[in-house]
Amino acid sequence: MTPLAHYLIFSGILFSIGLAGVIIRKNIIVVFMCLEMMLSAANISLVAFSRAQGVNGIPMYDAQVLALFIVAIAAAEVAIGLALIVAMFRARKSVESSALNTLKD
Amino acid sequence: MESAISSILFYVFAAAAVLCAFGVVAFRNPVSSAMNMALCFGFTAAVYFGMGAQFLGIVQLIVYAGAILVLFLFIIMMLDIKAEEHARKSFPLACIAVIIAGIFAGFVTKVAISLPGATVGECPAIVLCESIGELAPGTIAQKAETEGFAPYGSAMPELSPAAAAKALGADEATAAAATAFPDTKLLGQSLFTKYNIPFVILSFALLAGTVGAVALGRKLRKD
Repeated sequence: MTPLAHYLIFSGILFSIGLAGVIIRKNIIVVFMCLEMMLSAANISLVAFSRAQGVNGIPMYDAQVLALFIVAIAAAEVAIGLALIVAMFRARKSVESSALNTLKD
Repeated sequence: MESAISSILFYVFAAAAVLCAFGVVAFRNPVSSAMNMALCFGFTAAVYFGMGAQFLGIVQLIVYAGAILVLFLFIIMMLDIKAEEHARKSFPLACIAVIIAGIFAGFVTKVAISLPGATVGECPAIVLCESIGELAPGTIAQKAETEGFAPYGSAMPELSPAAAAKALGADEATAAAATAFPDTKLLGQSLFTKYNIPFVILSFALLAGTVGAVALGRKLRKD
């Protein structure tokens, strides 16, 4: 079996790519995709820990239940977030994050 | 042998997922980003299958690569978004982002490697992990290893269909003959007994999400 550390490093790399994308990208839809990637990266480490903490050849299913909850929350979050993006597009005619500057000027 | 193949497959799928994640950030066209995200989630699901979490792998494919991605593509096509003219805000900002992400990844790597026993296992390159055989004889970790019981700080244990069948209430003979690991059954048992109330509350969160999306998606009245 692959060591636990490698799963955690994989999940960490995926999370940090998502983090970099959130900072770099201008298009809010792509920023949102990167957020989803970060959630899914967190899920990987939960499942890896569930295997590593397993007792008697049975994984700890508490962690997998939590991962399932995160998937459900991510689905709800995408529905609301995309509705917000549509509302923003109606108001600003743009999905660039630089268009949201009412408080700045 | 089987274990060696699954270990190599993990590295292949992990590398592919990381490449696709780079693609999400690097492509200017949002549709290309979305397609890369689908591939990334597909490879992540493959990693789940390799870990023996079949149910979560299927859920990852159906919910992330199916539902969420289609929603993203719907919105991209509905809003008719062109590729960004300046894909990056500015060069210094990109540098700062890469530095922050690099520091984060470095910290995660450091913590993961220094976890007790986290690097015990098999992998293609010997430098990357300690071998299982190196557990000192007579220690608790070694005793646990031989008895098929792996507490925290030992190698990732193999799945045991027999123990799982026994946990689900099968008798000795049936449990000994079990060959497939009942992943979904065990997950469902945990979900519908210990976590039943959070599960019900979660359905309200989904309902609130649906209502919120409809309320936000309506045209605003002009008054």
